[in-house]
Amino acid sequence: MVGSPILFVAVPLLAAFLIPLFGFIWKELVRIVPGIVLLYLLILSVSLYIQVLQDGTIVEQIGGWAPPWGINLVFSPFTGLLTTLMLFLAFIIWLYSYRFKNVDFEPSKKYFILLLMLVTGSIGIVLTGDIFNQFVFIEIMSISGYALTAFYTGRDSAEASFKYLIMGSLSSMFLLLAIILIYSQLGTLNMADIASKAHLMKPEFRVLALVFFIVGMGIEAEIFPLNGWAPDAYSQAPGPIGAAFSGIVVKAGIYSIIRVTFTLFDVEGTMQFLVLMGMITLVVAEMAAIKQDKIKRMLAYSSIGQMGLVLVAFGIGTEEGVFAALFLMVNHALVKPLLFLSASYLVFNSTEKSIRELNGLGKYLPLTSFLFALGAIAIVGMPPLSGFWAKWSMLTAAANSNMILIIGLVLLVSVVEIVYYFRVVNRIYFFKKEEDVEPKKPTINAMVSMIVLGILIVTIGFYPDLITSYLHEASESLLDKGKYIQDVLSAGQSIIQ
Amino acid sequence: MKKILVLLLLAVFGIYLADVLFSLEFGKQFFTDGVKDFYLTKGPLDLKVSNTITAIIVNFRGFDTLGEVTVLFLATTAMGGILYKKRHKVGARSVLFPSSQIVMAGSKILFPAIILLGIYVFVHGHLTPGGGFQGGTIIATGFLLMLLAYQDYTVSHKVLTIVESLAGITFVVIGLMGLIKGSTFLENFMPVGTLNNLFSGGLIPIIYIVVGFKVGAELTGLIYTALHEKD
Repeated sequence: MVGSPILFVAVPLLAAFLIPLFGFIWKELVRIVPGIVLLYLLILSVSLYIQVLQDGTIVEQIGGWAPPWGINLVFSPFTGLLTTLMLFLAFIIWLYSYRFKNVDFEPSKKYFILLLMLVTGSIGIVLTGDIFNQFVFIEIMSISGYALTAFYTGRDSAEASFKYLIMGSLSSMFLLLAIILIYSQLGTLNMADIASKAHLMKPEFRVLALVFFIVGMGIEAEIFPLNGWAPDAYSQAPGPIGAAFSGIVVKAGIYSIIRVTFTLFDVEGTMQFLVLMGMITLVVAEMAAIKQDKIKRMLAYSSIGQMGLVLVAFGIGTEEGVFAALFLMVNHALVKPLLFLSASYLVFNSTEKSIRELNGLGKYLPLTSFLFALGAIAIVGMPPLSGFWAKWSMLTAAANSNMILIIGLVLLVSVVEIVYYFRVVNRIYFFKKEEDVEPKKPTINAMVSMIVLGILIVTIGFYPDLITSYLHEASESLLDKGKYIQDVLSAGQSIIQ
Repeated sequence: MKKILVLLLLAVFGIYLADVLFSLEFGKQFFTDGVKDFYLTKGPLDLKVSNTITAIIVNFRGFDTLGEVTVLFLATTAMGGILYKKRHKVGARSVLFPSSQIVMAGSKILFPAIILLGIYVFVHGHLTPGGGFQGGTIIATGFLLMLLAYQDYTVSHKVLTIVESLAGITFVVIGLMGLIKGSTFLENFMPVGTLNNLFSGGLIPIIYIVVGFKVGAELTGLIYTALHEKD
């Protein structure tokens, strides 16, 4: 027994409540404690994941009540993979922002509490096996998100945060409506229980609940046309938070949509709907990205586009498709934070944050520029980096399901991606530096965190086999709906008797 | 033209929604083996809690309550973080108007009564309607009254932070004790007593008292921060 999944929620909550008290004792503790917590949870998550791969899914009950009655957490190969990924990114982001707001104690205290809670909320969404509990975690995640977006307390960031707040409240309302509809029909909130009883629901209620769910979570997962908040929030939030949004928050949103469409309801045509929405999101976002002249907005639109790609891959519906989608998610979760982290140092001292100000920085910030270029190459899917394998598996999955249109579209969109990413890389290396730009050297901890991400991208690029077996396990665990239901509900029955 | 289209779309959606929701027939039972019967029997029998809603909120679904408490904590933290730069120095505040003698004298009499009512509501959460959230809110209204009546009334931010943090820590530690003493997080490990007694329900009254303190401190902090905001 190494530990139990509940610690992923309980320990960060305890830490968040303790941090204000630590602040009275020694101010540096406020910065150190989140890191220790995240590192501990990362180690716990890895060891639990290894255990789960051998012994099968862990179902953790809460409050001593068996699953349909109490709340439970499910640590399966699929959710475990996402948890480990999120914790790893959270640790990297903590390391990057260790010296953040070093002069001002009060805001930095809030920053670390909110960052920790943003991660906890996302992990809770992934681990929980109860839809109302998921709603609570979505609230935790999004409230931290609103606050972190408005962190620089300027006019623009307040506007971005307000936009996010309005969209997020709409999202909560739709989710709550969906939960009410489900409860009124089935009298249960447990996901496995709902999944086993979903056929008892009248079709119109089932469709409506599914629509409400997809609209609600689509806002968090940045599906077109619900992603109006994203570019503003990404560009106004502090750099590391942009990375956390693209690497952690969006993944939680996608997870929720996937859990609802794959496990909870099997409504005819959902998969086609996912493909369609994914394709529209992909095309619209990439078209918007090419027009941007602010670097962070461009990255935000690219992030939305990648999420569209992930949805398309999930929508293919086969084991290969799910595998490709997970590969794309992992790739995006490693590459986009790297791009955000390096880009926020490239435009550190500028007020406009426009692409023009990146001109010629390759000479002044060689390592940061190199890492940005590496990320750009990985995200467009050029060999030999990780993005290539992700896109490759996606194209093979589409080809094996005879979805030729998807292949054409993805290749076309990749060209668009190449255009706008390489335009930036070109400016960094081959243009003359603007007079008024003052490059800022990254701190050591920020450099280390970026280099770790860079090394991972290259390693996965050369040895994709390192992670493919885990991804296969995860996609099998997602697709095996019967086993999920049995795992959760049987754990309860044995305790009751 | 665009507006008409949007209206049309909304109308179509609305009709569909209304159609489905009207067929819901409130009050009619759709399901046979839901979880409610389990709660209704286990609440009074096993937990000895006469207020079943409290039993559901704090025991069966106590994890959700921990989450909701965190949501409130985050909202306060967020507000404090965002309004940090806009805060006046201690003592100065934005809402400046003299209150009448009646308000000042009356609030002094009402304040202890409000606090007492708040404490009563959260201590009796497992017996009567109400609980930690409601009790905490009542306590915060008491502080709001004092802040409105007296211009120089101050609440120590440090004390509020300590109360808030300690209450949160207690909640999580109680949960972890359940993990250690029993086998699951937030499991009841205390004797449940007899139905309708003040000391009954195991952990439920303790958790509700903790929640009451936390909500009271947090809402007071929110009011205080908002009152001291620069325009």
